[in-house]
Amino acid sequence: MDREAGGEGETITGTVPSERSERVDCPIGKYMNKRIVITGIGVLASTGIGKEAFWGALKEGTSGMKPVTLFDTSNLGSHLAGEISDFDPKEILGNKGLRNLDRTTLLVLCASKLALDDAKIEAPISEEDTDYFGVSLGSTMGSVWSISEFDKTALREGPRAVNPALFPNTVINSPASQISIKFNIQGFNTTISTGFCSGIDSIYYAMNMINLYEYNTVLSGGVEELCEQTYKGFHKIGNLSGSKAGNEEINCPFDKRRNGLMFGEGGSIFILEELEHAKARNAHIYGEILGYGTSFDPKSNNICSPKAEGATEAIKLALEDAETSPEEIDYIAATANSTLDCDIMETRAVKNALGKKTEGIPISSIKSMIGETFSASGAMNLAGSLCSLQENLLLPTINYEKRDRRCDLDYVSNEAREAKINKVLVNSFSPTGANSALVIGRYE
Amino acid sequence: MQRRVVVTGLGVVSSIGIGKETFWKNLISGKSGISEVTSFDTSKYEVHRGGEIRFFDPTDYIPRKKIKGIARASQFAIAASKLALDDAVLSKEVISKGNTTVAIGTTMGEGGMIEEIDRHWSKRGEDDVWGITISKYPCNAISDNVTRALGTKGTSCVVPTACAAGNYSIGFGFDMIRQGVADRALVGGADPFSRIGFTGFGRLYAMSPDVCRPFDKNRKGMMVGEGAGILLLEELESAKARGATIYAEVLGYGLSCDAQHMTAPQVVGITKVIERAIKISGVNKADVSYICAHGTGTPANDKTECEAIKTVFGEATSKISISSIKSMLGHTMGAASAIEAIACCLAVKNGIVPPTINFEEADPVCDIDCVPNKAKEKQVKVALNNSLAFGGNNACVVLKGYV
Repeated sequence: MDREAGGEGETITGTVPSERSERVDCPIGKYMNKRIVITGIGVLASTGIGKEAFWGALKEGTSGMKPVTLFDTSNLGSHLAGEISDFDPKEILGNKGLRNLDRTTLLVLCASKLALDDAKIEAPISEEDTDYFGVSLGSTMGSVWSISEFDKTALREGPRAVNPALFPNTVINSPASQISIKFNIQGFNTTISTGFCSGIDSIYYAMNMINLYEYNTVLSGGVEELCEQTYKGFHKIGNLSGSKAGNEEINCPFDKRRNGLMFGEGGSIFILEELEHAKARNAHIYGEILGYGTSFDPKSNNICSPKAEGATEAIKLALEDAETSPEEIDYIAATANSTLDCDIMETRAVKNALGKKTEGIPISSIKSMIGETFSASGAMNLAGSLCSLQENLLLPTINYEKRDRRCDLDYVSNEAREAKINKVLVNSFSPTGANSALVIGRYE
Repeated sequence: MQRRVVVTGLGVVSSIGIGKETFWKNLISGKSGISEVTSFDTSKYEVHRGGEIRFFDPTDYIPRKKIKGIARASQFAIAASKLALDDAVLSKEVISKGNTTVAIGTTMGEGGMIEEIDRHWSKRGEDDVWGITISKYPCNAISDNVTRALGTKGTSCVVPTACAAGNYSIGFGFDMIRQGVADRALVGGADPFSRIGFTGFGRLYAMSPDVCRPFDKNRKGMMVGEGAGILLLEELESAKARGATIYAEVLGYGLSCDAQHMTAPQVVGITKVIERAIKISGVNKADVSYICAHGTGTPANDKTECEAIKTVFGEATSKISISSIKSMLGHTMGAASAIEAIACCLAVKNGIVPPTINFEEADPVCDIDCVPNKAKEKQVKVALNNSLAFGGNNACVVLKGYV
């Protein structure tokens, strides 16, 4: 809302106008420069459930890779993944209303609940606040498992044998919609799909909605379930570590021994708030989102473009949007996932975008610990970066042993390191073309 | 300086015609695109009809050697995008300069890839896995393929907000242009005919066995369709500078979420989204003379939607023409609201509102002017495009004639 020119008399005090009909959104063509901060974090990954456990494991350099138990991998060359083996949604969501929900949805509902709790926002959202509150979720596949199981039941047993209550799970925006249903979030509900960048791009969508409209709070992030179909499909096309004969299963971004990615799963959800709204309710502020950049690279067509033109441009645009010079970046949260093309492209993009002088900036990939969480990965990176910002700590790239001369930056190998961190560049690049980057900073 | 957003190109791939001209001619003559389903065996289903597209040849739009890597939703989207660019008289060379957003809505994305995998799976057993098929599935493939085919530079994303996805994408592109992030935007939606959708709606007993008759007392349900609709949005001054044909101006859009139920529409949420769209766009309710309804033809949808419209417009509802082109196309899912937005643009431009066909008997709970069976000449100052999706996700786009 254009609070000065709108003249509706709503001041930013955290109180909500009594007349809902008085809601006035930003007049068309008026771009507001609101400040957007993060006031809640909810994260589930193979290394830990909840912000504290997740951060703790990142600091320790714990790997979440373990033998897959959700499905049988005995006929495959790959057996490991970042599965959340101790996931019990009832502990977080209670017993009610979970029966027909799939794993993707349960992961994202749990992450959402943790984020709301962390932000000290009472859920379900009250009728006064709900029209100002939105959901923007990054998800590219919905729940493949749900879609496929529904279809297979019809193929095997006939179309009448399917459970109609499971049909809604087959649409890609089902997980996001369930967030609104569970927590009464009525402002808007959008799913954004850009492959590996979905988590970051959904945050950009949320920023726009706060900037351009009268929404003051958005629940945003990404989710991905570990799923048999995706695992086997990626194995088949040789993308998984170990999927090619003779390859050891190893998850080691930037390391010369790399031979493919390891899947992970999880949900990473944030509460984004307009700064004044957050201040008015005395919310804890983890950090501020300073800028965003995106650039599609047509040369990344299932393999990341070695020239890194799109990724370079995305970083440059993010820095420009954040009005931040390369020298001000203290740490880079990498997208590298232990595939040759991605690791090399990212290294080149960082060098191209930040310039020679800045090659000393530490860059590390938490995917070495949690795996490639696909649509959630950008949001996972952001959750890690907020840990760095809170604790002035560079997170490690674990399993780093053998230097690759094409990847010659400071990857914070194997152990976390203390450093003063004010601004972090969060990268999220997709081998299918999309490249996005976010700059976050300490709130001052 | 205020940046205004106008529509200067329309691309349609539909069961009643490919390309704006054929689509519009058939739409206002009330032609039905419904026929017997042929893309899979429906003998075990209770209904057998849908809105499949019969005469789509992807090689008209995509080089033959590239087609293997591009699935049907993407093929539709590429075709509709190219048609929209041609319609806007913009070359690939021009569009690849400057910043063009690509935002495409879908419900199932390339769900056909999962269906293909499942077919193999159920025939040959669990261990037969499917090479490249899965890599074509993630739904961002649609926008990736369009962006790659047209060489655009700018934000590229899929907004998979089910049956309201087209409107969400239009909203996204609109915001990109008015903020000055983009100069142009290719927005809309695409969905291929989905066996999963057909199974699900069948099992919910939501499908009509013969024809789709929205707002009719004896309406029996929706029908699954397929297609794509893409609109080229452009900043007004640049459109004027190059002498483009302007179909309509996008004044704004509203979003809301029922937050109640995955499949049952709610009056409150729909009322809210229409109110919000009107308020944000700054139009007078009295200027709204056409609403392209979500109008799926299910008993619940049409009743709920009419009630919400009446709540917003009160007695003035009777002056508004409210038609459902799903009566002709069936429900094209993620493409539906995009194709309907195209219908709104053409209605506004040509002063004709498309009909609701198959209308026989009035339903007292749907006592609106649904433009029964015959298109009507009517000057439309402002048109609303309603869309209501699974998950209670509602979106309404406001379009105005540009004079």
